[in-house]
Amino acid sequence: MASIERNGDQKRSLEHKNEKCVGCGICADICPTESIRLGPVLPIARGLVKMDYINLNNDKCALCGLCAAACPFDALEFKIDDKNIKELEAYPKWEHEAKIDEGSCIYCGHCVKVCPKDAIFMQKTMPERSEFVIGETEINEDKCIYCGMCEDICPAEAITIEPNDVSSSNQEIAKGINIDESKCVYCGLCRRICPEDAIKIICTTCMYRDEIKEPEIKGDIILDEEECINCGWCQEICPKDAPVVTKPFEGQIYMDEEADCKGDSCHACKDVCPCNAVSIVDNLSEINPDLCVLCGACAKACPQDRVVVKRDKINLNNIRSKSWQKRISTLMGDSA
Amino acid sequence: MPVIIDTEKCGKIKNCPGEGLCIKICEQGALIEEDDDVVLVPENCDDCDLCIQNCPNQAISKE
Repeated sequence: MASIERNGDQKRSLEHKNEKCVGCGICADICPTESIRLGPVLPIARGLVKMDYINLNNDKCALCGLCAAACPFDALEFKIDDKNIKELEAYPKWEHEAKIDEGSCIYCGHCVKVCPKDAIFMQKTMPERSEFVIGETEINEDKCIYCGMCEDICPAEAITIEPNDVSSSNQEIAKGINIDESKCVYCGLCRRICPEDAIKIICTTCMYRDEIKEPEIKGDIILDEEECINCGWCQEICPKDAPVVTKPFEGQIYMDEEADCKGDSCHACKDVCPCNAVSIVDNLSEINPDLCVLCGACAKACPQDRVVVKRDKINLNNIRSKSWQKRISTLMGDSA
Repeated sequence: MPVIIDTEKCGKIKNCPGEGLCIKICEQGALIEEDDDVVLVPENCDDCDLCIQNCPNQAISKE
């Protein structure tokens, strides 16, 4: 973990959190003193070299804090007198966020499965089945001949006949027959197939269907905003439109069709993408813009310069300094 | 067209800051190690250029 700290009139510190960094290089692009060098992003992402995504130059860094203010992944932390600039009024504020409306969530868990940062946690409690599947069963063992028809046909596999060891002195074919009421759904098929009319089934659920309370699913869904990168996966996959994601940048990402793509041989874009937005289809890379945050890591990693990132809005507000506005505006337009 | 390795810039793998990163990054088996040297297998090169982009010695290029 790289960091720079200096004490003057104020104590200023900059800390790089490599575990949050994706190697997009936005900080290196906007640093006014060119104090940040982007490392070899693809080898780092593939785990081929052990080093941080960025390198901070202690001698050149003016500790202005712009990199920390503009990092869309919160991978740089800048503090003045131990106070994070995110909490200081004078500094820019990201408007990116992701929220899940718990009122709309049905706890299906799709978002948990697709979140590339494992930032969503869900817990659900299903109602007890026995409260909703209600009935009575009775087998008249005086009539039962243990023919096994009910056992064979029961769709819930709720019936068992316990066989007996038959001998010349014991001609009882079975020890008994049992219906497991935790499995039985009271469908009555056993009653209908029984050749001896030995089974009685009463389905209370069928008789009082409308009076039995609605099954209620209880749950909790939590989105860890510290881990979330606002990629939009949850929003895209949710069948109930419960998550609402505001991304850091608005704009376009597309492929320069003139440029070569070595798809399966290269897949550099796929390996560096923090959002899981890239797939290789028919030996060509494809990026789903709905799942992309326009960080541009793929564009930098592509050896063929095939990825074009065009940002036309940055959801970073309260940039009071003119020089910072100028630096940040370099991220706009065609930056690939 | 396969890549070209500048053996002077490349040097021995034991001296490479990336410890033979090009060999590790090439999934086509177009770059292999032989007696601590990086050797090109031209017929395996797929022109992806990942090695060119990632060589810490800038020893790999194309004509």
